[in-house]
Amino acid sequence: MTNILCFSRNRCTSVEQMDENNIKSVCRLQDTLTEAFVEIIVKLPDLEIISANCEFTRSVYKNYFNAQKSLQKLLGIRIGAGVLKIIKGLVGEDINCPELIYMTEEVCHAVILSFTKDTLDKAPLTDSKEFYQKMVKDNTRLYNRCAAFAPGSSLVEGLDPP
Amino acid sequence: MLKFCRNKLISIKKEDNDILSVHGVLDDHIYGLTLNVKISISKLEILSVNGKWNRWTTPECPRAELFLKEAAGYKIDEEITQKIKKNIGNKSCRHFANLLIDCCFSAKEAALLIKWEQAKKENPDLSIEEFFQQSLQDNSPSSQTTKDDIKIKKIEAKVEVKTSDKIETNACFDKNEIKGFIVDLHVHTSPLSPCSFASVDEMIIQAKKIGLDGICLTEHNHLWDEDEINNLRQKHGFNVLCGNEITTDQGDMLVFGFNKDIKGIISLEELKKQVEKSNGFIIAAHPFRGFLTFNVNDLGLTPGKAANRTLFKYVDALEVLNGKVTEKENGFTLQVAKILKLPISGGSDAHEVFEIGKYATCFSEPVTNNDELVTALRNGKFSPVIFK
Repeated sequence: MTNILCFSRNRCTSVEQMDENNIKSVCRLQDTLTEAFVEIIVKLPDLEIISANCEFTRSVYKNYFNAQKSLQKLLGIRIGAGVLKIIKGLVGEDINCPELIYMTEEVCHAVILSFTKDTLDKAPLTDSKEFYQKMVKDNTRLYNRCAAFAPGSSLVEGLDPP
Repeated sequence: MLKFCRNKLISIKKEDNDILSVHGVLDDHIYGLTLNVKISISKLEILSVNGKWNRWTTPECPRAELFLKEAAGYKIDEEITQKIKKNIGNKSCRHFANLLIDCCFSAKEAALLIKWEQAKKENPDLSIEEFFQQSLQDNSPSSQTTKDDIKIKKIEAKVEVKTSDKIETNACFDKNEIKGFIVDLHVHTSPLSPCSFASVDEMIIQAKKIGLDGICLTEHNHLWDEDEINNLRQKHGFNVLCGNEITTDQGDMLVFGFNKDIKGIISLEELKKQVEKSNGFIIAAHPFRGFLTFNVNDLGLTPGKAANRTLFKYVDALEVLNGKVTEKENGFTLQVAKILKLPISGGSDAHEVFEIGKYATCFSEPVTNNDELVTALRNGKFSPVIFK
């Protein structure tokens, strides 16, 4: 049995605060078959997409090289609840490029995670249970959203389902 | 300076002629985790999944590892993303789900690569581009996302409003103080709304049990048939109404009195034109639903700034009590509604039985069918109510 890889993928998504009002999020993909990037700039406080660019520099799918035009449909869209459905609907409508949709979701997701990190930074290094209990109490949408906040977890002990 | 960075590495090797062994690593500013997934090449099916945390946040995150095995048996088809998000994301952890989806997409590419190498033995002229392009056409996302004939148009209009930055969070819509006909105006049922976990019968039975006067079924981009609604009314002896929650480029809209079954994403401007023609009514659903760990006001958004959003030019009312958002977010929406002087409504946005009736809308007169519902909405004879 050989242990040589038949496929390898690297995906890096990073978020940069450009200035007080603008955030840039970039997803770079390099794998056995594809090399590409998707980049968006979003404006605070609405998280409105004001710029969207992409390039597929290597792909086995010819139509992927025309992805840039489809991405322009995202201009004016706000990153928020339900944005993934909007991306799928807008970008998926005229180009058969699942990878473009996925990478666009990743850049939007990373913007959200960058703010999530700011919130989680406030958790104490030890004995953080109380911090997370308060978090789910303040936002019942977290209840049952993952194993950590599901019934049976100490973080939702004593909490009624919303 | 980087505010956040996520790296994912996926390595795939052939374990035998039909099994791919996929090793995935996710490492970002918040989480570190790994997955080991076995996938059948011939069936494109997950055979087993094991995961391990390296870094996590809450003291209960380790529980997530236990539920990963439930992905065994999943086929890597057009449903896989939704299935993993719904089941693994909710039961286990959405970051494990994110990596698992990437592992599945990678495995699909790897399996195709192997199949191309096999096909090339019989047809040495078969190019990799030709082979993969054919597979892409066979799995076209356009066949997964139903297209609508309405084209997206960019909305450029702006609404001018006065500014108010104070967020109100203690609005009182006590059901004991608001008398009338109470309808939960925002309800999702399974399977028509894929994100719902409750059948329509279960929802109606619960609505009756808790004393609502009616419910309005508002599935995501699905229009109930009037005959089906009549059958449900008769079967349960209960007021069942229907609308539609339509996704637009400006977010989700509750639409009433509009019988076109919109699929895909429509521009709000275009939706407004069409709904107006049919004398329908649009309510902006949870317009300021925020994120799981932070709120829109954490981003520096104020009610005054928010009221300038283009979408408010095209809606008839705002949902200021939504059961799936926080009190702060509902309070924020109420502030915006006051600035815009728009009518306000409430609904549970129930996706599970226990969620129904948390919030509702109280009408001054009984509404027993969809025509009466639209008339009552257009007359503005309604207000939101905290029902339970």
